[in-house]
Amino acid sequence: MKVAVARVADFPPGERRIVRVGRRSIGVFRVGDRFYALNNHCPHQGGPLCLGKTAAWMTSALPGEFRLSEEDALVKCPWHGWEYELSSGQSYMRPGDAPVRGYGVRVEPGRALDGAATPEPPNGRVPGPYRAETFQVSVEDDYVVVDTSTATRQEGE
Amino acid sequence: MSAPMIDTDVHCAPASFEALFPYLDAYWREYITGGTVRIGPALGGQYPMGAPTTGGAPPATVEALRERVSGFAILTCLSAFDANRNPYYEAALTRAINEWLRERWLDRDDRLRASLTVPTSDPEAAVAEIERAAAHPGFVRVLLPVRSVDTRYGNRRYLPVLQAAADAGLPVALHAWGRVGNAPTATGFTHTYLEDYVANSQVIVQGQLVSLIAEGVFERLPSLQVSLLECGFSWLPALLWRFDKDWRGVWREVPWVKENPSAYVYRHFRLTTEPAHLPRDDRHLAELLEMARASDVLMYASDHPHDHGDGGTRLLAAVSEADRAAILHDNAAAHYGLDV
Amino acid sequence: MIMLVDADIHPAAMPKEIAARLDEPWRTRYEEFGYRVANPPMIYPRLTNGGNRLDAYPEEGLPGGDLDLMRAQLLDEYDVTYGVLIPLQSHGFGAVAPDFGQAMCRALNDWLATEWLDREPRLRSSLAITHESPEAAAEDIARYAGDRRFVQALLPTSGETTFGRAKYWPIYEAAEDVGLPVAFHLGGMENHRGAGWPSFYLEEHVWMGNLEAALAVSLICEGVFERFPRLRVVLVEGGISWMGPLMWALDDGFDKLRADLPHLSRKPSEYLREHIWLTTQPIEEPAEPRHLAWALEHTGMTDHIMFASDYPHWDFDNPRTALRDVPKELRAKFYGENARALYGLEAA
Repeated sequence: MKVAVARVADFPPGERRIVRVGRRSIGVFRVGDRFYALNNHCPHQGGPLCLGKTAAWMTSALPGEFRLSEEDALVKCPWHGWEYELSSGQSYMRPGDAPVRGYGVRVEPGRALDGAATPEPPNGRVPGPYRAETFQVSVEDDYVVVDTSTATRQEGE
Repeated sequence: MSAPMIDTDVHCAPASFEALFPYLDAYWREYITGGTVRIGPALGGQYPMGAPTTGGAPPATVEALRERVSGFAILTCLSAFDANRNPYYEAALTRAINEWLRERWLDRDDRLRASLTVPTSDPEAAVAEIERAAAHPGFVRVLLPVRSVDTRYGNRRYLPVLQAAADAGLPVALHAWGRVGNAPTATGFTHTYLEDYVANSQVIVQGQLVSLIAEGVFERLPSLQVSLLECGFSWLPALLWRFDKDWRGVWREVPWVKENPSAYVYRHFRLTTEPAHLPRDDRHLAELLEMARASDVLMYASDHPHDHGDGGTRLLAAVSEADRAAILHDNAAAHYGLDV
Repeated sequence: MIMLVDADIHPAAMPKEIAARLDEPWRTRYEEFGYRVANPPMIYPRLTNGGNRLDAYPEEGLPGGDLDLMRAQLLDEYDVTYGVLIPLQSHGFGAVAPDFGQAMCRALNDWLATEWLDREPRLRSSLAITHESPEAAAEDIARYAGDRRFVQALLPTSGETTFGRAKYWPIYEAAEDVGLPVAFHLGGMENHRGAGWPSFYLEEHVWMGNLEAALAVSLICEGVFERFPRLRVVLVEGGISWMGPLMWALDDGFDKLRADLPHLSRKPSEYLREHIWLTTQPIEEPAEPRHLAWALEHTGMTDHIMFASDYPHWDFDNPRTALRDVPKELRAKFYGENARALYGLEAA
């Protein structure tokens, strides 16, 4: 099902919209000229993921160094701060963190849960065990449209 | 033929300033005599002479030590821990202690090693002493009191000291107690020795451990090792669970911390077996030892002459032979680079 | 349906709501000078959304300031049977000049009673007291003793001196007299003697467990429980797993150092088990779940551990998921029975 979210002209970069589609709540984000859509539900403890702040990748080689990438690429759950990549829904944990037990999911660096290769994350961070549901977003006739039938989804449990 | 035991914390102390006078110049001899400066384990209330846990005065000579402690041992002299705030006095005192250790202990018994004592109020002076004396093969670690001055050891102001130790290839050893003046608890002074005993070892050490990791010391100095002496260890699992979890939530405050904090602990920290504050129940004991990863992180110490009860004995009896070998020898040998 | 008692919820009053309940000269004093206590968030900013869940900010006011939002997000959402309010503003009010502080604490208590307890029967509250002015605090504990919706007297973990000290005994005496527990919640004036000042909120947050442990040591060693054998103490938000190791250390030490503790007639662990209650949040999450079960058993205090959410703070524990690693047979106790027994709540 395709849902018109807003006119592109009314949806500036850096903003987001939350839309209800049936029983689902979906967050649509604009970063620069790209749009992303995620299910408004954090797989960790069920928080309203898409209400969270967006964030850029951050790296640091040494104490006192804070290197932020230019663009926001992640959304942080407004509860416990778990971070999910907007484009893939993949959660990212700190480097070296073992997958959370109980999910039976082996996560290898550089691979997303569905087996597709993901780019090497900055700061050596490895993917976490959670993945938020994402949806296809397109621009049609000046409208931002989300297609709820194209959910890519894989949760740990 | 099993490897010999390494006793990683044995106390020694000059019986009086007389023993240090050969290593102090005339100005300081007069300063000490004229000012009736005192020295001794009871200073600052650290080890009251009559307290059962103190065990009396530490040995003042090699002969006295060898009547009580045999085998390979690493000496800890705490006599400068409560040095006053005169930074020049502290520098002179710590240098004198190190010279006394070298001449009266290390040069006379090749089964002894020692902790290098350094000033704590002036990081530059500490660096100077490390550079002056650390090359002697008898010094196997740089000694710091677990109570630092005003800020924790991960704070940038201490970085030169930690760097100098790492450059010299020596672990830094944080030992219980330290400079009094400020209260031993966060909120104030205490009325009982039990409170001091717990605060000045097991509580404060946890803040220091957290600081060294949170401040990214091991990112700057990946070769640095840290010994925690006479600070206990049964508190370790609970601390690491909290530390790992808290870090997950606020990691962006310290983005140079790239792994679970507990990973840094297992790689960079070793702890001694005294005091061993253990559950009386044997099953609980086995559980604690598993949670604490005892055979990975512990190094045997008699902590002579201190007496913390039977925990150390129970600990060694409760582990497997292989784990006992790790605790009695292997962990310390690796940590200090000892070929024993 | 099991009884769910949330032992740690944070309401927050706007300054104008306090001011409206102050008589002169306190009202003008408050409006012109506020209260100047260097509390932890001033020194260690909470990094994440000011320390709260981002979605807990009401349209107007502060997180924890809107009853309807609290109902929606907590009380109704999770079928909470009873919730215990812990108003952290009392930490600041309780540390200022005595009469001024008493006026502000009373204003806060009044706000709690009218805006929360009167309107929502599921709620109970902690009593704001001037902890640094113990005589005035004792007076107010007696004054409010008739309203049993105030289920405990509230203190912070960081005061001007250690809380075992005789200075604070009038509070314990008054609380014991009326059968009210006292609760120590993290906060107060930030102090870092001993281990020294940390640089980061991360360090300060980890240290919170150590603060509660040190507070317990102070209460034991100063003989508070000898002097007040019926006093009950809740240590809030400091964790649990450090309690077993602390008991072992204190008992070993007590064994050797008894001559310095002539005022104690029992082992420290006995005092701890009898007089101390703990709340679960933030629940420890060891990599091996069974380690938590072990640590809980080591405390010997599973009848004294109470679930807490810490709503609306960022690190709050969701009741549905937070206790998943707690052994099943303990969950009903943690979720409600232990709190019901402590606070004398009627069974649902």
